[in-house]
Amino acid sequence: MARLLKLYLNIFVVLCLFSCQTKREKAEEAYSFGVTNFGQGSAGSINGIASAIEIDSTYEQAVYELSVAYLKRGMPHEWKAQYDKAVLLDSVTRIPWRGYLYLWFYRDYKKAIADFDTSDTLTPNFTDQPQGHSVDYWRGIAYLGLKDYDNSILYFDKYIHQEIEESGEDWVELTAFLYRGIAYYESGNYEKALYNFEKRLEHGRNLSADAKYYMALIAQQKGKIELAEELINTAIDEFKQGYFNNRPYVETLRQIYLEDLHALKLQLHQDNA
Amino acid sequence: MNWKRIFKIFLYVILGLTIVLFALYGYAYYMFNYKFVPEKKYTHDVEYIDPETALLSEGFEVCNENYILQYYNPERATYSKGKNGLRKFILSNYKNKNYTDSGYLNIRFVINCKGEAGRYVIHENDLDLNPSTFNKDLVDQLFQLTTELKTWNPNYLFDDYRDSYMYISYRIEHGEIIEIIP
Repeated sequence: MARLLKLYLNIFVVLCLFSCQTKREKAEEAYSFGVTNFGQGSAGSINGIASAIEIDSTYEQAVYELSVAYLKRGMPHEWKAQYDKAVLLDSVTRIPWRGYLYLWFYRDYKKAIADFDTSDTLTPNFTDQPQGHSVDYWRGIAYLGLKDYDNSILYFDKYIHQEIEESGEDWVELTAFLYRGIAYYESGNYEKALYNFEKRLEHGRNLSADAKYYMALIAQQKGKIELAEELINTAIDEFKQGYFNNRPYVETLRQIYLEDLHALKLQLHQDNA
Repeated sequence: MNWKRIFKIFLYVILGLTIVLFALYGYAYYMFNYKFVPEKKYTHDVEYIDPETALLSEGFEVCNENYILQYYNPERATYSKGKNGLRKFILSNYKNKNYTDSGYLNIRFVINCKGEAGRYVIHENDLDLNPSTFNKDLVDQLFQLTTELKTWNPNYLFDDYRDSYMYISYRIEHGEIIEIIP
């Protein structure tokens, strides 16, 4: 009898080892099943994620992930309602991240800036990096979207200086130079704009249709038509090779298109005639 | 050689394999249909547009009902005259008839493998992304203009043109179109 009891006890312990998962582990299993076996946004994926949330409603990764497909498919009301639940669970991560999403998917620059500013309060001794870039860099872009050039330049300066101090100029995101150059260009400071476009080229193998397009515009303004023509021709070549500023899912801020370059070329040709 | 014995072993092996296969199938069926399915089961992908209820769906055909990609994947399904052409067409034809509305008017639809658009749905949200209702004339006008964007570049994958889900989001402030996304 005693041996039988021992045997039952052993079986129970072995079964427990294999089956006694915590609530979170079960939720992670459901989440993993959904996201690894099915494409994002598919019924199978959503069922796995929703099942994970049913098991553990505090599982932030699942709560957040459920919102993503709605964001990318142009269904704002579904995205917002779900994303807000993730913010309640991890505001430190999700508020600056939401700023990034407001900036690109909704072009709501003011809401984006408000979220980036809130992240400063939430983590006063740390610069948040939603989607791999400093909130200062994103704020520079958001202020450029608002055409608030002073603040745009101020935040790009802050980001670039911090990056240079911590890692060196080679580590500065190339579009920071490009966008700071555009901010200077649009505010009429061509010398500082040129400095930034040249920095963009210096650190980017001298390849950037955007930088050369703006440099051509400046040369045109200064009456240097031959130089402008040379620059726009190179810009067209580089654009065709894929060296232009763009981003996945959505159009980027101040995105240039081949027809913009051809229009400038035509204008320069007329100026030169 | 004892053929009877060999035949018996063979039968047992077949029986064993059949049981294992049935068990695996049953386990997979349980996993896919019960274990990781929430109480409120999702029966369609999130972007699904029901052809029965969609606008301008009649006469519109997709090439493969079971394989409709997203506009951004793997390459962009785009308007034939590019984003500049799309923007120019909408902005030069849209008239703000003293509308006071602000928010996002999103129109989702399908671009089929031939580059035709159809099967439209409209989502109306305020600037805080909460559901709201726009002036009907504004919605009708922008819907009409959007459906006049006739020719699209279809998505391309595995050596063939494919159907894609697409959306256009108009950010509107006081009746003016401020942004056209994506």
